Amino acid sequence: MELCDLSAYEIAQHVRSQKATAVQVLESCLERIQKVDGRPGALDAGELTAEDRLRVHAFITLTEERARAQAEEVDRKVAAGEDPGLLAGVPVSIKDIFCVQGTPSTAASRILANFVSPYTATSVARMEEQGALVLGKVNLDEFTYGSSNESSAFQPCPRNPWNLNHVVGGSSGGSAASVAAGEVALSLGTDTAGSIRQPAAFCGVVGLKPTYGRVSRYGLIAFGSSLDCPGPMARDVTDAAMMLQTIAGPDPKDATSATVPVPDYIEALEEGVQGLRIGLSPDYFRIAIPDARTGKYHTEPVPAEFEQAVLRAAQVLAEMGAEIIEDVPMPNARYGIPAYFVISRVEAASNLHRFDGVKYGYRTQRTPADLRDLYRKTRAEGFGLQPKLRILMGMYVSAAQYSEQYYQRALRVRTLIRRDFDQAFDPDGAVYVDALLTPTTPTPAFPLEAVYGDSVMMQYADQLTVPANHAGIPGVSLPGGLTAEGLPIGIQLLGPDFREDTLLRIGRAYEVATQDDPWRQEEPQSAHL
Amino acid sequence: MTDYEIVIGLETHIQLNTTTKIFCSCKADSWFDPPNTNICPVCTGLPGVLPVLNQAVVEKGMLLAAAMHAEIQPVSYFDRKNYFYPDLPKGFQISQYDRSLARGGYLDLPMPSGYVRRVSIHKLHMEEDAGKTKNAGRERLIDFNRCGVPLVEMVTGPDLRSADEAAQYLIRLRQLLRWIGVSEADMEKGHLRCDANVSIRPRGADYLNPKTEIKNVNSIEAVRDAIEHEAARQIREVEAGNRIEAWTLEWDEDAGVLRKMRSKETEADYRYFREPDLLSLPITDEWKERVLAGLPELPLERRARFMQAYGLPEYDADILTGERNLSDYFEAAVQAYGGDPKRVSNWLMNDLLRMLNDTGRTADQLKVTPQYLAEILKLVDANTVNTSTGKALLAKVDQSGKAPRAIVEEEGLAQVSDDSAIRAVVQEVLNESPKEVESYRAGKVTLMGWFVGQVMKKMRGKADPSLARGILEELLGGG
Ligand SMILES: [Zn+2]
Repeated sequence: MELCDLSAYEIAQHVRSQKATAVQVLESCLERIQKVDGRPGALDAGELTAEDRLRVHAFITLTEERARAQAEEVDRKVAAGEDPGLLAGVPVSIKDIFCVQGTPSTAASRILANFVSPYTATSVARMEEQGALVLGKVNLDEFTYGSSNESSAFQPCPRNPWNLNHVVGGSSGGSAASVAAGEVALSLGTDTAGSIRQPAAFCGVVGLKPTYGRVSRYGLIAFGSSLDCPGPMARDVTDAAMMLQTIAGPDPKDATSATVPVPDYIEALEEGVQGLRIGLSPDYFRIAIPDARTGKYHTEPVPAEFEQAVLRAAQVLAEMGAEIIEDVPMPNARYGIPAYFVISRVEAASNLHRFDGVKYGYRTQRTPADLRDLYRKTRAEGFGLQPKLRILMGMYVSAAQYSEQYYQRALRVRTLIRRDFDQAFDPDGAVYVDALLTPTTPTPAFPLEAVYGDSVMMQYADQLTVPANHAGIPGVSLPGGLTAEGLPIGIQLLGPDFREDTLLRIGRAYEVATQDDPWRQEEPQSAHL
Repeated sequence: MTDYEIVIGLETHIQLNTTTKIFCSCKADSWFDPPNTNICPVCTGLPGVLPVLNQAVVEKGMLLAAAMHAEIQPVSYFDRKNYFYPDLPKGFQISQYDRSLARGGYLDLPMPSGYVRRVSIHKLHMEEDAGKTKNAGRERLIDFNRCGVPLVEMVTGPDLRSADEAAQYLIRLRQLLRWIGVSEADMEKGHLRCDANVSIRPRGADYLNPKTEIKNVNSIEAVRDAIEHEAARQIREVEAGNRIEAWTLEWDEDAGVLRKMRSKETEADYRYFREPDLLSLPITDEWKERVLAGLPELPLERRARFMQAYGLPEYDADILTGERNLSDYFEAAVQAYGGDPKRVSNWLMNDLLRMLNDTGRTADQLKVTPQYLAEILKLVDANTVNTSTGKALLAKVDQSGKAPRAIVEEEGLAQVSDDSAIRAVVQEVLNESPKEVESYRAGKVTLMGWFVGQVMKKMRGKADPSLARGILEELLGGG
């Protein structure tokens, strides 16, 4: 086993005990990237070559020098007997939606392609303070708007390490792919409707969306400000806990960050599930899909392989002492997507106002007639299809004459979704559960180009994840098996506010109980490149 | 011809004098800074930044709301006002919309002609300022220093009925802002900016006609002039049978003319929605009480009290309460003196105000403390010094900072009331001025003042003037 395939926990142990140096870890990761990543995402990248189709393409920007300086500093600290930090020598990638000082921070959009940030996001700074090595910025859907990474302005877009002809999911697709392919041990992603959990499920890694406010959003280029959560992506639960430990906590630069104390996530990991009440909800085993013409909903069950993966996990947890509560009602879950369509777009349209070609980023090269023309040309050329669609819809549903009908109504739906969870997690409620166990997605990773272009259908891939964003509660996606085709299946745990510790603990118990399962022994396609 | 009345509402933007900006830690005031030097990622709206509310802004806002008799809301919210402009770096302004800091309120304007106009407050909310745009030939220059400077926007009802009332509103508002210490309210520096909404209607009507909005009337004189011009224009238009259209106008102060900026056929849609990056703003009773404990007696209240408690004429009370320091000074001097408050007022208004104006100081910066002023008044009352020596003492004390009594002793300024000493000097003056003595005796009694002056001159001002006059009369008459 190579250094880059070790878990973050093991790497930090190795570095602290001088079994390996941080520089050696870095070299191992760079070698892996060299081997599997192919050419980095770039604007106007031209046709996809045959070789491109056999590479992961997680990265947009490699920050080798930054990582090397950090690795040398970690090694110096270890040699000097100083504390090198919780993430000593742990290689990480950063979704390119975070600002990192001195690096291009592109949001995978032409409009920010030349923007070099003068400051660093709080969560990135916290990881570096704890000794993490930032290897680079990884690809995503443009401005995080998508579920496959195909909408990135930086092509080739990432390809799924488990099957290179399939999508990585999104929007934190580069993050998931870089972790799954062993290029880094951890990645910082963001989750607005499932953007951590869905690609984690598609790429067979752990993805945690923390409680809203648990992790500072400072430095995260905003999509839906009331929904966005930065969070860890890792190859196992312990690593996710270590990373959350590092980035969680109040931040004076983010007024919405929570002041609730941060528990010791790592210590709680091995406490088992004895006595925990874990719920299953029929509303999470079926998908409601609107008919494009009539707008009427029809429901479809999630694929049998997915239902079975969840039920198997429930069985495993029950055997370890958890109590499984069936039929937890989540009647408003099905409205999560339409409400999200409205709320996220209103916030997104406003958040995108600042990209006007005046101060930074792309400006049209054509001569504008006047100021309005400068805005129009810049934004027409700089934004891809997804931002434009979202701006149009966001402007529409927040216009004075439609706001009540759409935006205000969506906010009321959001309150109802929150109420479903409040009732389920209420210790004095009719059904009290500590966590809800569900599939993460209704499908495995789809083939590249299969769904892209159908914005509505692409969005319904988030149906099982988006309610947690509306409610602000934490959720984690865990690898839960492989389909017959060998694609990862994700299972999701949802919990009450600030109970990431419970979710991680359940996840860890499940991991321990299934560690000898045959599917856990499988390797992704990228391991054989 | 119809008799018209003018209906005016004023929108003011008040720059709060906090140390730092409203959502970041840049300093709030950039008056002396070169363009774009007092900025940071937050106030220039770089990708990924978030606003953090400055509590001092809320506290100053609360003081202002209370001073305007507005109701401070237990919970308020911030909203985004979305529009594109190059000096608005985020493409939206963080403001308050439907649930703002305070509701209602009013300001009473005592008008010089004797009546009081009560002006209702329609809107009072906190917001961030935008930057400044300057056109330089074909280029636009943008200065972001002002981005994020804390403002309170305050909008009156259509309650003002003349250009004078509008001017009076700004005068009283400026006085109040400085009084309660929330703004420097310097209109030249843009601390207090004003737009005026103007319409006319037949006197006695109770409906509102379409109004025009005059932007950037940024001095008291400009407000008065612009409104008068616009009202006259509207009357001319209506008399000529034309309709008043809802234009936005700009007042060119130098040329003294109004220019049309744009027609306002459709209201802009700012697509307001709650600012998701800020939490709701709860104001607890404890917080409110603590902040409002710092609210001083308001100028109009103090003005009324000065008239009632000290028997001052309205004129005196108005001037003495023009500025908070001065009114504090007055009260402290009255207390230390213990005598007639009007006498304190006279000395303050005649002599100390001139000293303040000449040197550009405020009352609290005088070395002549209220206690020293009282001491001088007592010295004069006791005839220890005469009035002119007393007034000269003001300047001496203000220069040296020494106690008046000490100066009197050091410089031997105490008045001579020894009859024989004065008598000797009087005799000397008469001996030296035979011509004047002759004229006086021939009936030119107005020369008495000249004789007193001569005596005072010889005695370096120390003679008791009434004693001198008595002796002069005696010796001249008996001659
Ligand atoms: Zn700033």
